[in-house]
Amino acid sequence: MTEKLNVFAVRTLTQKEYFAPGHRACQGCAEALAVRLVAKALGRNVIIASATGCMEVVSSPIPFTAWRVPWFHVAFENAAAVASGIESGLKVLMRKGRLPRKKIVTIALAGDGGTADIGLQALSGALERGHDFIYICTDNEAYMNTGIQRSSSTPFGASTTTSPAGKVKMGQITWKKNMPAIAAAHNIPYVATACPSYPIDLVEKVKKAASIEGPAYLHILSVCPTGWRSAPELSIKLGRLAVETGIFPLYEVEHGKYHLSIDFPRLRPIKEYIRLQGRFRHLTEEMIGQIEERVRKEYAELKEKAAKGVAR
Amino acid sequence: MIPITIDGQPVEGKEGENILQVALDAGFDIPHLCYNENVKPYGACRLCLVEVVRRGRSRMTTACTYPVMEGIEVLTQSEKVLRARRMIMELILAMCPGDKLIQDMAKQMGVEQVRFKKDDNKDCILCGLCARVCDEVVGAHAISFAFRGDRREMVPPFLGEAMNCIACGACVVVCPVDVIRMKEEGDERTIIRWKRTLKMKQCKVCGNYFAPWFQLEKFKERAKLPKDFFDVCFTCRG
Repeated sequence: MTEKLNVFAVRTLTQKEYFAPGHRACQGCAEALAVRLVAKALGRNVIIASATGCMEVVSSPIPFTAWRVPWFHVAFENAAAVASGIESGLKVLMRKGRLPRKKIVTIALAGDGGTADIGLQALSGALERGHDFIYICTDNEAYMNTGIQRSSSTPFGASTTTSPAGKVKMGQITWKKNMPAIAAAHNIPYVATACPSYPIDLVEKVKKAASIEGPAYLHILSVCPTGWRSAPELSIKLGRLAVETGIFPLYEVEHGKYHLSIDFPRLRPIKEYIRLQGRFRHLTEEMIGQIEERVRKEYAELKEKAAKGVAR
Repeated sequence: MIPITIDGQPVEGKEGENILQVALDAGFDIPHLCYNENVKPYGACRLCLVEVVRRGRSRMTTACTYPVMEGIEVLTQSEKVLRARRMIMELILAMCPGDKLIQDMAKQMGVEQVRFKKDDNKDCILCGLCARVCDEVVGAHAISFAFRGDRREMVPPFLGEAMNCIACGACVVVCPVDVIRMKEEGDERTIIRWKRTLKMKQCKVCGNYFAPWFQLEKFKERAKLPKDFFDVCFTCRG
């Protein structure tokens, strides 16, 4: 119910910055905004294991760092494995009395490449073992940091440097991998999708994930003006449009129960979202119609699951 | 910078900061419910009790209302503090037995049974955070404490509808025990606890309901905006 609150509710968040300003993210980077809000929501007692990706590159150019909380840079594929190691280590140290008993939240932070492609095995293992940690995937829908190569999270029709649009093919030819559903299939206590355009909703979800015992998975859509070929000042608007068109619905899965965080009486036409981005510039009306059909179908399926209360 | 020690560890605080802020920044774990750094500290929940030793004299005080002073020694985990905190936790648990956060905190502190009369009808812990946020952050002054002693309550004026409430939802977000609920049905948003229902404004372009009329009128009045400024929603605008 908190997704439409934006004016005063945001001002009740802490004013401390744990993800400090001065990092090297591009103009209009919604991923940096998402990470900042996540850090604000969790406060001081966290340990973050961050996979290679945009957020690692922009936040830690030697000899600087943007992090004011303990932070590891780990390899591309093992953010979840390192996070589970940290969590087990903390548990043992507290049991042996070498650390005072208190709540320290362990986080694995990775982009969509580090989650859906390269880190999927480690993630699946960590979720299955049931470590008490939060996995946060900041999804900008391609390998943006190395120069916009396609990932399995790239949506259908998007033009990237390895799925270029041309005479033969019209950009990415596969559909976006449904990561939240894969995480939910592990039977973990909490899975949610969020977007920094809805800040209070995102903060509440992170806090909920931290309070729940056992693994939690958070999928955050982060608009990337560089890779999406959109204007930097439109980042927040694009995030909102992605939600309001039904392309990226915000929902939670608590112990297998689906719940839509925000529902609209009617969804916007997806053309509004697609026409603002250069990566979809080549799409014909027919292809947009094809995408719209699929988006509507997936949304209807999700709504049905939410209405039933139980599903999988 | 003002040097103090917390649990034997040297820590530095800034002028004007309170002990709780400094301790939390340094990673010490002090339980607290009524503290939010965006509003003035109030010391209502009493959970952040610590022992402060100054010039050889020790006293118990709430960390959120005690300013950092040079050379003070703060004990957050002494036997005396923990005993007092357990008692306060027990009292809070009696006030609000149903909330999960309170139950978890009580369990963590080792409070197992409540010796006081439990009142299942009451759920508010009277921390006053909602009213402070409404006054200082929002500036609406919609709610306040009424009555005294054990009849003290957080209510809208004259127990009726909160006429100044703009349904911004800041109190919904800050409430530590989650008893202020909001619901949105069709074109109406209701803050249930303050009995306030406001009509929502419909966007001229997309037709979605995006914010309460009354709230937008207040904004226009306060910022002297043109009449048609809020005709379209935040997404449809530019």
